[in-house]
Amino acid sequence: MTTTSGKNSCEIKVDKTLDCMGLYCPVPILKTREEIEGLASGQILEILADDPAIEEDISRWSKRTGNEVVCIEKKENGLRILVKKK
Amino acid sequence: MVTKKKILYVQTSGIDRPERLYAPFILATTATAMDIDATVYFLIKGVEGVKKGEAEKIKIGDFPSLKEVMDQAHKSGVKMFVCDQSTQLLGLSRGDFVEYATVVGAATLNDLLLDADAVISF
Repeated sequence: MTTTSGKNSCEIKVDKTLDCMGLYCPVPILKTREEIEGLASGQILEILADDPAIEEDISRWSKRTGNEVVCIEKKENGLRILVKKK
Repeated sequence: MVTKKKILYVQTSGIDRPERLYAPFILATTATAMDIDATVYFLIKGVEGVKKGEAEKIKIGDFPSLKEVMDQAHKSGVKMFVCDQSTQLLGLSRGDFVEYATVVGAATLNDLLLDADAVISF
């Protein structure tokens, strides 16, 4: 997992984007779950979120569900998180 | 290598019950001294105690201020997580917590609970 910007793992092609800006716990996690279900194995979900809880939560959710956080990139107004479906 | 045991302390009591605010910090600090991995999770009214500026105001009996006990816990390696959503629930202003408390959410608490060897709630 990368937490800085500009790393190669943050520049991969995404398959779907989920905009969670302005949404708070637990909604971003619930929406992530919904969106991941619609993807095929190996596809990448991009999540944009400004919930302060999301960084720790998405990492733990991914570990529990077997999905992989491949990149967490800090943006001016929140985070850009890339999750690879198991 | 022996894996460290993990204790999770869940704080739901607020500043109206100061005597309950000390317990997780004192127990968790002691746990680190016993080579136990200690985490405190603050939710519901428990978040009041980690809002910036609140712990300094709390002192009971011969105990040091709550802030001193909290700082000591942090220094000894106790991890602290705070449910930001609880501040919304209570109608408090959002997100202004002591700097070493990490804002997390529901998924983190569930994960910590499953990972812990023991859980106690105050």
